[in-house]
Amino acid sequence: MKLSNSRLFEQGAAIFRKDFLIGLRRRASFAAMAMFALTSLAALSLATRGEILEPKILAALLWVVIFFAASAGISGTFDDEETAGTLSTLKLYAAPQAVLFGKMFFTFASLAALIIFLLPIFLVLFDCGVEEIFLLVTTIFFGAVGISSAGTLTAALTTSATVKGGLFPILLFPVTLPIFLPAIRLTEFAFAGGECGAEFLILMAIYDAILITAASILYDYLD
Amino acid sequence: MLKFLVALTAAIIAAIIFFVPPVKGLGDLAKIIFFHVPTAWVSVIAFFTSAFYAAKFLRTGEFSCDELSAKAARLGFIFVLLATISGAIFSKLTWGTFWNWDPRQTTIFVLILIYGAYLTLRAAVSAEKIRAKVSAVYSLLSVLTVPFLVFILPRMYFSLHPEPVLNSAGRPEMDAEILIALIAAVIDATLIFWWLMRKK
Repeated sequence: MKLSNSRLFEQGAAIFRKDFLIGLRRRASFAAMAMFALTSLAALSLATRGEILEPKILAALLWVVIFFAASAGISGTFDDEETAGTLSTLKLYAAPQAVLFGKMFFTFASLAALIIFLLPIFLVLFDCGVEEIFLLVTTIFFGAVGISSAGTLTAALTTSATVKGGLFPILLFPVTLPIFLPAIRLTEFAFAGGECGAEFLILMAIYDAILITAASILYDYLD
Repeated sequence: MLKFLVALTAAIIAAIIFFVPPVKGLGDLAKIIFFHVPTAWVSVIAFFTSAFYAAKFLRTGEFSCDELSAKAARLGFIFVLLATISGAIFSKLTWGTFWNWDPRQTTIFVLILIYGAYLTLRAAVSAEKIRAKVSAVYSLLSVLTVPFLVFILPRMYFSLHPEPVLNSAGRPEMDAEILIALIAAVIDATLIFWWLMRKK
């Protein structure tokens, strides 16, 4: 049965709302992401002991923390339904595309919240100035879109895995590398100022679009 | 087929040792390039072969395609490790360091990560049907990175790596005997991969 776009949107929005409410009640997923970010930031800051780091190193540190903190939260995107045995019911209620995009938007919202929480702490702890704020926001937006889209599909892949510890970042990292590398370069430009590589932003936007399309096509085969 | 491959490989090794001149300024050890390029080539071929059979599995649901996809990935993993080790040795000879995250080195390392992730995913899912589905989806998802990591990103960063044989000028910049030996080695490695894929 083919659903109209408005019906798909309604179903996707309902799944987003469900996950959001569960997230608010339980807070486990967001707490895991936030605490992971805080712990790793504290560890890095303690290790460098207030040294002034180059923008290149700071940019790399920021994205490593974002990636692993996101992994700690996103990996369980489908686990609630899988554990409760309600994943098949969810698939009966909504079209696969609505499930995927509902979950993807929720993942993106969680990631955005994480970055809003993490970024000011990072800037303060490492005494890091931002020369190009718009560039930083745009880079983080494209980075978060890529991690959310690839992360949601990867989370769907690992739901049936018997060994889950560590599997999610292993699968996600290579797939998000074409986002990760330009994001680090752009963040370096944003911290240091000067010439910004527009080609890196275009590359991230294209790869995001490809990831979303691929996730949409491939998710249907997991049904 | 096996006898032919053994004879061909032996002939190519003999030609590289006795007939191909040493690389200027680098000596005989730099001839490891005749091992590095073919293994790197096969590791990419194996990657696409794995993705091809993964797509075929998703379309037809035939488990033989899943087995071939997994076999190509396992072989690709071995070839990519060989390519990385031989590349690191060549890098030490030419750049003075085994590893410096040159864009090409990053690409080959990501290929190791993808193969490793794919094989780990297969090991982590016990149900045969689900394992076949999720690995096929991951194989196709990871193939998306190839155009970016092999063709686009290395051109956006400074690289010390020599130009590929098929370079942007469309003209190989090497002596004829070196080029012939290299092409023969690449064909030989591809045939070895093809033979291993067909082997039960």
